[in-house]
Amino acid sequence: MNYLSITLPLGVCVTALGSAIGLGLAVTSAMNAVARQPEAAGKIQMLLVIGCAFIEALTIYAVVVVFILQGKM
Amino acid sequence: MQPDTAAAAADLSIELPRLQHVLSGLIPHDLVSFLDVWGGNILALCALILISVLMTRACSRFTEVPGRLQNAVEAVVEAMENILNDILGSSMHEFLPFLGTLFLFIFIMNLTGLIPLLHSPTSQFEIALSLAIVVFCYVQMVAIRKLGLIGYIDHLMSSPRDLVGWLLAPLMLLLHLIAELVRPISLALRLFGNITGEDALIAAFTGLGVLALSGIGSPVGLPLGLPFIFLGMLFGLVQAFVFTILSAVYIAQVLPPEGESHAKNPIKS
Repeated sequence: MNYLSITLPLGVCVTALGSAIGLGLAVTSAMNAVARQPEAAGKIQMLLVIGCAFIEALTIYAVVVVFILQGKM
Repeated sequence: MQPDTAAAAADLSIELPRLQHVLSGLIPHDLVSFLDVWGGNILALCALILISVLMTRACSRFTEVPGRLQNAVEAVVEAMENILNDILGSSMHEFLPFLGTLFLFIFIMNLTGLIPLLHSPTSQFEIALSLAIVVFCYVQMVAIRKLGLIGYIDHLMSSPRDLVGWLLAPLMLLLHLIAELVRPISLALRLFGNITGEDALIAAFTGLGVLALSGIGSPVGLPLGLPFIFLGMLFGLVQAFVFTILSAVYIAQVLPPEGESHAKNPIKS
């Protein structure tokens, strides 16, 4: 047990918080867009999926860092 | 990040038992350690063989009224065509075989982890990275073939045509080169991280289900991992989809502008 056992979960927590805010904004805008223009739903959905992948990749990087540093815990 | 570091780190993470560890008393020790290293590659090879056999069988005898297999394969191909048409426009048919195979390959490899005693090959960083490097090389090849070497360097310098453009060209070249080199790493990390995390999630909850009833000496546990298997199926599909779409976007960015279809590409990573 050292400081890593606190900082690793905390790091994922903070990045997940940021990703959650970003995903919320993206999904809100996409829903608004679909509500305004239902015929563009397909295109918007594809852009949303790509954008969400970029946003959540940041949390994944934090998780990968946790996997790497897990051995030092 | 070094691949062997990642592999060592992945070994430390929680996971369900693998086939060779369950059978470790019955098969020689050499085979167990061999499967530990090469198991993912063997599963990936099995996935390739599965796709090849399925597609060959579906395409061997085309009929006017499609049978069940041909119908399913046609549905998949049509869905891919619709999605890629939005990104790549008229040149879509040139890249459909590569991107479609990539999608099916990654999808089947992701789902392999949900079969008991097997694991996802894509949860090994080497395999995810090698897929991303294949995409990187393919994009460079397409770029040089379509634009020519000079044209590609010009594209990397954001096509300078005036004095300000030429002054900024070295900076643009550097930025574009870094962007090109970071792409395979980010593609590989996204796939590897998501699939590893999803497998670890299923393993953690399955372990929790076994732990929950171990106090009363029950031989079986609660199926707590079951809902996460459905989540895993969804994740496997979404990650394969994202990998394919991003590859298509990377290809679309290096295609020469052809009027309308280029303007359809709104993503600039």
